[in-house]
Amino acid sequence: MRIRFYVSLFIVLIAALLSGQNKQVLYDFTEIPQSLLLNPGAETDFQWFAGFPFLSGVSGFAGTNGITVNDIFADDGLDINDKVRDRMIAGLTSKDQFSQGLQIDLFNGGYRSAYSGLFYSFGAYLEMDNILYWPQDYAFLAFEGNADQLNRRFDLGDLKTRGSVVAVYHFGINKKINRKLTAGIRGKAYSGITDYNATNNNGYLVNTQGQNNSIATTLSADMQLRSSGFGALNSAENQGTLPSAFVKRALFGGDLGLGIDLGFTYRLNERTAVTGSVLDLGFIYHSGNVYKYNLNGNATVEGIEVNVLRELANLNRDFWQELVDEVEELVPFETTNSAYVTFRPTQLNASIRHDFGRLIGSDKDCDCNIVRAQYNSTKYRNEVGAQLFAINRPRGPQVALTGFYLRRFGRFMAVKGTYTVDKFSRTNIGLGINFQAGPVNFYAMGANLLSYQNIAASNYASFQLGLNIISWAGKR
Amino acid sequence: MGFDTREANMNRLQNHLLLTIVMLLLWSCSEKQDFSQYDDLSVTPTLEASIFFVKVQESLINRVVDISFFTQDFNFDAFEEAFFSERVLEGVITYELENTTDKPIEIEIEFLDADDSLLDVELFAMPAAPTATLIREVAYGTTGKSLDILRNTTKIRLNASNFGDNISTSGIPNASIVLQSSAQFMLRLK
Repeated sequence: MRIRFYVSLFIVLIAALLSGQNKQVLYDFTEIPQSLLLNPGAETDFQWFAGFPFLSGVSGFAGTNGITVNDIFADDGLDINDKVRDRMIAGLTSKDQFSQGLQIDLFNGGYRSAYSGLFYSFGAYLEMDNILYWPQDYAFLAFEGNADQLNRRFDLGDLKTRGSVVAVYHFGINKKINRKLTAGIRGKAYSGITDYNATNNNGYLVNTQGQNNSIATTLSADMQLRSSGFGALNSAENQGTLPSAFVKRALFGGDLGLGIDLGFTYRLNERTAVTGSVLDLGFIYHSGNVYKYNLNGNATVEGIEVNVLRELANLNRDFWQELVDEVEELVPFETTNSAYVTFRPTQLNASIRHDFGRLIGSDKDCDCNIVRAQYNSTKYRNEVGAQLFAINRPRGPQVALTGFYLRRFGRFMAVKGTYTVDKFSRTNIGLGINFQAGPVNFYAMGANLLSYQNIAASNYASFQLGLNIISWAGKR
Repeated sequence: MGFDTREANMNRLQNHLLLTIVMLLLWSCSEKQDFSQYDDLSVTPTLEASIFFVKVQESLINRVVDISFFTQDFNFDAFEEAFFSERVLEGVITYELENTTDKPIEIEIEFLDADDSLLDVELFAMPAAPTATLIREVAYGTTGKSLDILRNTTKIRLNASNFGDNISTSGIPNASIVLQSSAQFMLRLK
């Protein structure tokens, strides 16, 4: 059973394809330094922190909103061909998506300037993300074909996919501007390792009544698939130098880009705060090892057409080859290598929270007589609130709404529970727990926990975990 | 409530929470999956397109005194393309023959291989107009002719014969013999 679980989890994480993860449990979980990556304007009270390399922040998710692994591969005695036809070909639409993401902190740290009070944070992480929308008409063509589909236009725009592997180097500044407002900004330098995208395809394939022959087949295509980095890695793999080539492209030896994150926390009153952040406002310029595959043009064919009277003097031609050449001329398939720009999948977070209960460190229901360090943020035992997450996708913004409750158990532990409604699930319950044992900080989070009873039947699964050393320099 | 009692309650609550998380992780499981089903997945679309169209005007027929008024070989590599020949499972070629001339005619379609060897013949005979369109469906594969005929075809020879005179003209405007053909083939992609 455990092996099946791990296999299913692996399939969900790897076989599905990706983009930016909604980290609703981590967002505004201010005990955890990595919450600064979701809101550079989060309230912080650390003097400094240092993440364990490769362990300070590991997160991943996989989501399929229209179908699950279990729907196809359950050992239920049904014919897989029937399941695929009923649940995928007939069941999915071009708005259904398969997405997957993985982010690994390479290193992460931060410190507060004794002079200015600014909190600086920095680090690098590796991010993989992929998203594939269900190519509905392509799937129908592949499984059923175009026979007996007169006048049905097969939409070539159904091919929408995007993915990348990027190393991100970042440096952020966080400042408590006054008792109400904390703001932050993070600059990012992107080092693109691989990228592919086909998000602006248009056109159709259709069979209609022919003018001469019984059927006219029309192809109208305006399609492009762009990729970067794969050729270099393939060559390196053939030469046995894949790891070094990967590292080289991760260290600014590949595609380069810039971006920023912005965020704030504003206290409406002592116990109520609103937060917001915009992440990955940026771009990557793909200039090396670029391949662009283009299919552009219009052609209508009715097979070999011979009007004998018209062609009488020239009947000994190769009509078949001429037909092939004509189509290739009208709808040429071309490969180019010019540079291109991609914009990062920009994410938006916002929240409102209300604190209640006793102040941490106090037995009283107020913070009277509590002397806090200048940069310490006020923390109460309970928080309740709502969060909004939105991310820019090839088919438009994708939104998730979360309600949450956070409970602090002294300084040792804090637990956050979330309920999220989004495209993937209406029963997404998440739970995160943060332990602070002296300077050692450990957190673990998961979303859509109800689905863990049968992970293969899950539309969405995500996790985050990390390990840090945190110092408050005796000011807590 | 004393401090010790609160501390004890806190510890109890923490223990319960930890226990809940541990239980949740232990319960994480999956119904039995059978990924070997993928081997049984069959992807066999049926594709449809026109093949060839030939039009011979009555005025042209009247110019030829022989019975055979038209013979022509057409190179046709579509069927021997590896993508097709290695994947085709079965199919149907549909012919539609229309004769609006004033002559009874016969059309012979020969399928030839690279050595010009005859693989198969389709023969159509039609009376003079007015007559209905002749529609013939020829199946290939398990319930029809051998697919090897198509797989080895590289050339199609068209023979047309006039069994009428060379003077008369049909009262139908633009009188001609029109041969249309289309095909539906099922291919195995997986």
